[in-house]
Amino acid sequence: MSKHNSRREFLRHLGLSAAVAPFVMNSNSLGFAATPQRKQRLVIIFSPNGVFPDEFWPDEVGKDFKLKEILRPLEPFKNRTLIVHGVDDRVRGDGDGHMRGIGCLLTGIELFPGNIQGGSDTPAGWSSGLSIDQEIRNYLQNDPTTRTRFGSLEFGVMVPDHADTWTRMVYAGPNKPVAPIDDPYQMFQKLYGELKDRENFASVLDELQGDLETLRRAMNDEDRKLLDQQTTFVREFERQVADDSAAEQHVEPKLEPNIERQNDNMPKLTAMQIELLVHGFLNDFARVATFQITNSVGQPRMTWLGIDEGHHGISHEPDTNTEAVAKLVKINRWYCEQVALLARRLDETPEPGGDGTMLDHTMVLWTNELGKGNSHTHDNTPFVMVGAGLGFEMGRSLKLGGVPHNRLLMALAHGFGHRIDSFGNRDFCGDGPLLL
Amino acid sequence: MTWSRCFSYGLLVAVVSLATADVSARDGQTVFAESCATCHGEAGGGTDAFPQPLAGDLSVSQLAALVQETMPEDDPGSLSNDEARAVVEFAFHGFYSPVAKARSQPPRIELSRLTVRQHRQSLADLVASFVGTPNIGDERGMKGEYFPSRHFKDRVFERVDANIDFDIGSESPVAQMKDADQFSIRWQGSLLVSETGWHEFVVRTSQATRLFVNDNEHAIVDAWVKSGDEHEHVGRAYLLAGRTYPIRLEFSRNNQGVSDEKVHSQHEQLEKASINLLWKPPRGKLETIPSRAIAPDWSPEVFVCTTPFPPDDRSYGWERGTSISPAWDEATTTAAIEAAEYVATHIDELAKTTLSDEQRPAKIKDFCAAFVESAFRTPLDEAIREQYVDRHFAAAEQESVALRRVVLLALKSPRFLFREIDASGGDRNTAARLAYIVSDSFPPDWLSRQADEGKLTDESNRRLAAQRMLESRVARQKQREFLRTWLQIDGVVEMQKDVEQFPGFDETMVSDLRTSLELFLDELLSSETADYRELFLAQEIYANDRIVNYYGGETSDPRFLKYRLDDGRRAGMLTHPYMMAMFAHHDSTSPIHRGVFLARSVLGQTLKPPPDAVAPFAADLHPELTTRERVAMQTRPAACMTCHHVINPLGFALERFDAVGRYRTVERERPINDRGRYQPRNGDAVEFSGARELADYLAASSQVSEAFVEQMFHFMVQQSIAAYGVETKPKLHQAFISSGYNIRQLAIEIAVAASPIGREHDAESLANQP
Repeated sequence: MSKHNSRREFLRHLGLSAAVAPFVMNSNSLGFAATPQRKQRLVIIFSPNGVFPDEFWPDEVGKDFKLKEILRPLEPFKNRTLIVHGVDDRVRGDGDGHMRGIGCLLTGIELFPGNIQGGSDTPAGWSSGLSIDQEIRNYLQNDPTTRTRFGSLEFGVMVPDHADTWTRMVYAGPNKPVAPIDDPYQMFQKLYGELKDRENFASVLDELQGDLETLRRAMNDEDRKLLDQQTTFVREFERQVADDSAAEQHVEPKLEPNIERQNDNMPKLTAMQIELLVHGFLNDFARVATFQITNSVGQPRMTWLGIDEGHHGISHEPDTNTEAVAKLVKINRWYCEQVALLARRLDETPEPGGDGTMLDHTMVLWTNELGKGNSHTHDNTPFVMVGAGLGFEMGRSLKLGGVPHNRLLMALAHGFGHRIDSFGNRDFCGDGPLLL
Repeated sequence: MTWSRCFSYGLLVAVVSLATADVSARDGQTVFAESCATCHGEAGGGTDAFPQPLAGDLSVSQLAALVQETMPEDDPGSLSNDEARAVVEFAFHGFYSPVAKARSQPPRIELSRLTVRQHRQSLADLVASFVGTPNIGDERGMKGEYFPSRHFKDRVFERVDANIDFDIGSESPVAQMKDADQFSIRWQGSLLVSETGWHEFVVRTSQATRLFVNDNEHAIVDAWVKSGDEHEHVGRAYLLAGRTYPIRLEFSRNNQGVSDEKVHSQHEQLEKASINLLWKPPRGKLETIPSRAIAPDWSPEVFVCTTPFPPDDRSYGWERGTSISPAWDEATTTAAIEAAEYVATHIDELAKTTLSDEQRPAKIKDFCAAFVESAFRTPLDEAIREQYVDRHFAAAEQESVALRRVVLLALKSPRFLFREIDASGGDRNTAARLAYIVSDSFPPDWLSRQADEGKLTDESNRRLAAQRMLESRVARQKQREFLRTWLQIDGVVEMQKDVEQFPGFDETMVSDLRTSLELFLDELLSSETADYRELFLAQEIYANDRIVNYYGGETSDPRFLKYRLDDGRRAGMLTHPYMMAMFAHHDSTSPIHRGVFLARSVLGQTLKPPPDAVAPFAADLHPELTTRERVAMQTRPAACMTCHHVINPLGFALERFDAVGRYRTVERERPINDRGRYQPRNGDAVEFSGARELADYLAASSQVSEAFVEQMFHFMVQQSIAAYGVETKPKLHQAFISSGYNIRQLAIEIAVAASPIGREHDAESLANQP
């Protein structure tokens, strides 16, 4: 606070005029007590088919808890991890367990009736509401001080190339699913394409000028006028490119070229997406991101772990099949390693223009469409958070005993200062956001 | 059309010259100095008060009649016949006529950039030259494949469906499929497009559907998931006229999702099924895609550049690329980026390679060289290849980066953007000119080969080449675009009519009439004789039931067929309802609009813009006057008559066709007077009554066919015809007449004549040509 000599100067720094000062001083979110201008970010990571609960949830409650096999990769971040057991997805209605699992996970509201028949239950269509990441994105984009180039980025890895209820988690609104980008090169193009085009242009402009000069010399006076004009345009463009690249110094990840989008490349593709995500945040292209690993009912074959069957197939095996259980634990542990990799990369990167590391300003939330694969339950849906920045008390294991997950979604919004009084189906929002 | 809103007025003022005998034999120069120079300047160059130079294309007789009627402004009619004639002769040969003007400042072939149309077509062809070419037959409709399963397995039936508008209900659509509850259909083919711009597509169905247009992987409509009550799905695609595009529509009856039929049978609730595929092309209305716009044959994807460009200069009446602007330069940059992105994402297909191909880097480099060569319309010498291709592959770590740089540089290079920029290009330049003249795109490989073999210096070889090129769809489209320009229907056409006077003349009718007109042009251009006189003389038009019934006939056939309306009183395009309605006000005809069209487009006369924008007198304020009388009254002042003495009597001849183009014999209970007259450039004034007589005159008029030749030359070549030597126009005109006024033949002759001549040929060398 010492940087600001007066309250007025502080407000000016915030971009607020003196006229609104009295109002601001009465509001809770912007009073002096609140942390000023602290960047906040959210990443939601999805992995499919439920978990094996016995090797997932800690037995203990509170600060003193032990990480079990699946969550062990989070050991380095244990005091910045929050494990929330006892949160249930209560949304019912059309669609099978997996469809509702992914379609209601971030929306907290029913699917529309439709024509997609699941393995049981009635057929369904898309979600009837937007997802919490988009809600928060819209909130941040509406405020000039938190607005970013994209607002949110939707990553994926090995998401099947067809749009249906099982492959879409993010919704911009009712009936408006947002497709995740699961090709790192496509994401790179989205983030840096314009910049690269400018760079590429800059690298060829000398040649262009040279050739224009050669051609000009062979012209008669009348025709030369037109080429002179063209030469001027190119020169102006050159100056503009120079100005632009001086103004925007972006860091970009270096991607290994030509990695094909196929099952066995999943670890590489995942690591590339994580790099892109970290750099996207570093450049402040967005403050919200989702990362959807495959899809609900996802069938990755983790051959790199020595597992040749698809994940969903294995997840249906009874608990008595110890071989299958062992594989499920390995599979889920691999997902956890990806969460840990993201946390580590964020934690290795100093917060640009701020204090601490990027992880200190980012909440990573890992979740799933089911609580457990072979029962298709939505009770005890996994919610594991790593990081900081939303005002939650980290380094704890909680057992809440069965609260609707809408309240957890609300807590995320409230963490950003977006004080919504309900989200999704209102029936599940009683008692307000979870106090974490 | 500010022009049309201006009226000038009047009845012809009877000029009776009383002064004849005493003022004898003043010569033209003296008369000009004494009576004209004060306002018009010594050599007709204008003065501060009247800055517009005296220049135009009236003949000596036309100009003499005009001068006598209207000049000098302070005392019209004071010149004797001889004096008027003398002063006009002096002015005409001194500075007024195009020839005199050309003499003082000979037109030349100017350096030009690609026009917007040429730019888009060239980009499309650059990519297209690396994939297959479509082969569209005569059959129309979409190929339908029918499957007794949800997912296009085990095809049992195939046929061509004229268009996609099926009310399937609860039955199986074809006998071969027994199960009415579960089946899928895939329709495929090519879209035949005749407008450039965003085309909107709509699929209406309660079932699962996907629509792919010009992109076989990404659906523009993906409604495989049915959700809530949405039964209408919209997508859009930017398409270029004169090309064909792959289109695929997928349809699946019943629920989707898992393959377990037991689960399905527990939950299925069958609604009645239907499917309808519609589109709304630019300028069109939303309609079921008509079968004439789809063929069952295959087409490859086309790269279509969607970057908006500033419009080309049309100040001479035709699009040309002789000026550039920052907005244009910026658009070329954006277009280059768009093209580089497309090429980069499709590189494996274009360079015929795969990620695992060891030859991939080499193939991409070869692709780049071929791409640059096509873009520049010239073989790459070593220096150019090094500069535009090799250097970038040596410098960049990855071939993907080099590829983008090569494409960006090539498409920003003056060698791509400007026409025949290297004047030493020889026969390759001839090939490029020939291709751009005929089809607005760069030469195909076979034409470049002919150039390299030295064949194109020979006139008969150029004729054969032009003939072959003209067979392409893109070239045919250019012909169609020319006729649209000639008819002035190439821009945005607004046709709102008074609902009380013309009930039923709605958006659908306008769209039907446009279709009718386009069908006429298509038929004319593809017919054996391609006789331009049919534009004036045809008695039949294409019409569907709506048109026929509205225009006094009777039919219930919804197809567009040929009808002879109004007992043969109609005259080709002159009286086509679309034209009549376009050149009319919302509540009354406009002899002025019609007259201006006839004078400018058809007779090829230059009309100066009216001195003031004038709103036409409202019909209601003069209930006692016919339209003809009202127009005559308003354009009576001398300032108006300089042009309206030409315009009005032409437009009056079409008065029997009302503001929506219906035939009529009375207006306000008074008989129609459709007598008109015209003073041609050569010969005596002609008089005619009604559209047929006017049409007969125009079809036989040498002035009209000459104007047509000149306009077509300008549209195709985009340079002034005068820059090609004084003999070019009369030669082309003669060839046109000899061919029986064959429009296609004229296009070929224009290409034959203009393609060997470039900027390097100055007027002097042309004059000395044998």
